[in-house]
Amino acid sequence: MIKNYRASAGIMLAPAVTLIGVFILLPMLLTIWLSFQDWSTQTPFSNASFIGFDNFREVFGPTSVGRHFKRALLNTAIYTALSVMLILPLSVAFGLMVYQRDVAGGTALRAVLFSTYMVPMIAVTLVWSKLYSPSEGPLNQMLGLAGIGPQPWLSSPRSALISIVVLNVWQQIGYFTVLAVAGLTQIPGSLYEAATLDGANRREQFRFITLPLLRRTLLFSAVIAIINAVQVFEPVALITQGGPVGSTNVLTYHIRRVGIERAQGGLGSAMAVMLMLALIVVVCALFAFANRKDDE
Amino acid sequence: MSLAWISKLALAAGLLASPTIGWAQSVNISYLTHWSPETVALLDSAAKDYAKSNPDVTVTVRAVPFGDLLTTLRSQGGSSDGPTIGGIYDLWLPELARDKLVAPAPDAVAGEVKSAWPAGVVSAASVGATLYGIPNEIDVYALNYNKELFKHAGITAAPKTWSELKDAAQKLTRKDAGQQGFGMINSWAAGVVHPFASLLASNGGELVKDGKPVLDSPQAGETFQLYEDLIKSGASDPAMATADANTTGPFLDNFVSGKTGMIIMANWWESALKSGMGDKFSNIATAPIPVGPNGDKPHSISYSWMTVVNANAGEAEQKAAWDFLAWLNSPKSGENGASAMSDILMSMGILPTRTSDIEAHKDKLGSEFLSGYVSVLADAKPFPVVPGGQEFSESLQQTLEALQYGQLSAKDAQANAQADAVSILERAAK
Repeated sequence: MIKNYRASAGIMLAPAVTLIGVFILLPMLLTIWLSFQDWSTQTPFSNASFIGFDNFREVFGPTSVGRHFKRALLNTAIYTALSVMLILPLSVAFGLMVYQRDVAGGTALRAVLFSTYMVPMIAVTLVWSKLYSPSEGPLNQMLGLAGIGPQPWLSSPRSALISIVVLNVWQQIGYFTVLAVAGLTQIPGSLYEAATLDGANRREQFRFITLPLLRRTLLFSAVIAIINAVQVFEPVALITQGGPVGSTNVLTYHIRRVGIERAQGGLGSAMAVMLMLALIVVVCALFAFANRKDDE
Repeated sequence: MSLAWISKLALAAGLLASPTIGWAQSVNISYLTHWSPETVALLDSAAKDYAKSNPDVTVTVRAVPFGDLLTTLRSQGGSSDGPTIGGIYDLWLPELARDKLVAPAPDAVAGEVKSAWPAGVVSAASVGATLYGIPNEIDVYALNYNKELFKHAGITAAPKTWSELKDAAQKLTRKDAGQQGFGMINSWAAGVVHPFASLLASNGGELVKDGKPVLDSPQAGETFQLYEDLIKSGASDPAMATADANTTGPFLDNFVSGKTGMIIMANWWESALKSGMGDKFSNIATAPIPVGPNGDKPHSISYSWMTVVNANAGEAEQKAAWDFLAWLNSPKSGENGASAMSDILMSMGILPTRTSDIEAHKDKLGSEFLSGYVSVLADAKPFPVVPGGQEFSESLQQTLEALQYGQLSAKDAQANAQADAVSILERAAK
């Protein structure tokens, strides 16, 4: 009986397991294998030759390959951290605003917020590149009206990455607001009623009811925001080309340049493996932190 | 089986076979370029002219931004369905040929190219003794300056030496009006490296000699120092220097709007300047690259472009592609003995390379803007075409940008550039 049960479970799981194996696990294993090879992307896999950890030594070494990779890794980390740090609080703030039933136009506001997420990133990028234009850009013109001089936005290594983060936050905030609203709907209204009877003010209700009960939603939002941020590509490819001075050279753009443009498949794969490992570590740390809080 | 049935079956088989026969005879080839929509329209028009005498060949033109051209060639060129023809920069050829992405030219085409183009241009389209592409354009650099701004600053002639360049840049700088004297470029490898290499060549130096980088030379040191001086004096503002994926952006905007006094730029910018400036284009003049303390005379670097054929395309597609390219670059296809390709290039202010094309476009090449470029052609030094050249360019770009933004001193920039170049070229040569 158990044997039959196992066989049928195996048959039912096989299609999903096969699909995951072929389309997810196999490419990942192939990338890991290639990261130990000297291989040009334009040649068959059979031309790859094993070079041990040389690619990893190179990407963390003192030469231009290592310096540019480490800079791209750091840029990606800063971009991701800033994006998450802005998106999460803003999404909760906007979520609270549009979730209030007694505020007129809450649904319309929710639709407007979500609409930015429906605009393709490529269009957002083109529009923002003009908004940031140093001479005829509306942002500098508005600052000029307020008596503030023109800002370099994308033309300065100090502000270029932050300018791209702002663009990303503007596009993504609607989606994360919807997630926050979904989390808010799961919190029973009776808790707020009881807290009000106990004399808790709005701030205390937010701190001791809303935030703790939103933790799972915020964890999910943080993981998705991190993954989205790490995959940033269009604004860099279209507007800044990784510059100036490599200040917006993020890992996806750098890996594309190394692995495809220069056809250095082994090096590009080693960089992709490092990115994957970094992502796994960060997401695991985030879950561990959330679980510890749950235990407490 | 009755005769009627046999007739019906034969008819049905004939009907089924007819489209197959028609498909087998027609050939579709695609042409990948980075040109603007206006220029692509000219190429489309030439392809239609070709189709009049070759009705079985259909040429489809596809354009991508310059920043995506190499990636598209690399990612799609390995397949038979990728672009059949690609317009490429000579620096990319050694690695595309090594990876067997581009096909050697057939003997007939190679013979024609070797007899009708200057030897230097033919060598840039070859790896060893094998010709891989039909050369079409050559680009050189010159000093572009705004005559109106020169007049306002009281400068009567274009600078001929580096000290005159620094002096003019200083006089042209008006910080209160957001005006810089000399414009550098950032965020675009060739745009950063080529003007630097032209100044270096005009100071008697080179980037690479006998396959080895020589950025540690005193001449290179002086060129890095010139950049540092221009930045530190405030005559060049890096925040006004950014280019985007289409090689336009604030750098171009600042020059066309009269916020930059001088730039060092290639001839092919003529069309961008004309469309950005309209009637004010007449304010722009060209002059040779200013000569450094160790230089003998102005030297621009030169680079060329060519059209190559996908080595993985089918035999019929490759044959049709070479035939189309031979026609497109022949004196039969254009106006007054010029090739259609040279007519397209001249519409953008780009210098053609076929000897008969230079003769056919003699009048336009003598225009005030282009004559400044034609005059430096004879002393131009080809940009080094070596394996790893693209990575070398991008690395030098990063170093020069760090110097522009004050993150490195001229001395450190020189040391970094040389060390990086040595490791990149050594690795690529393995």
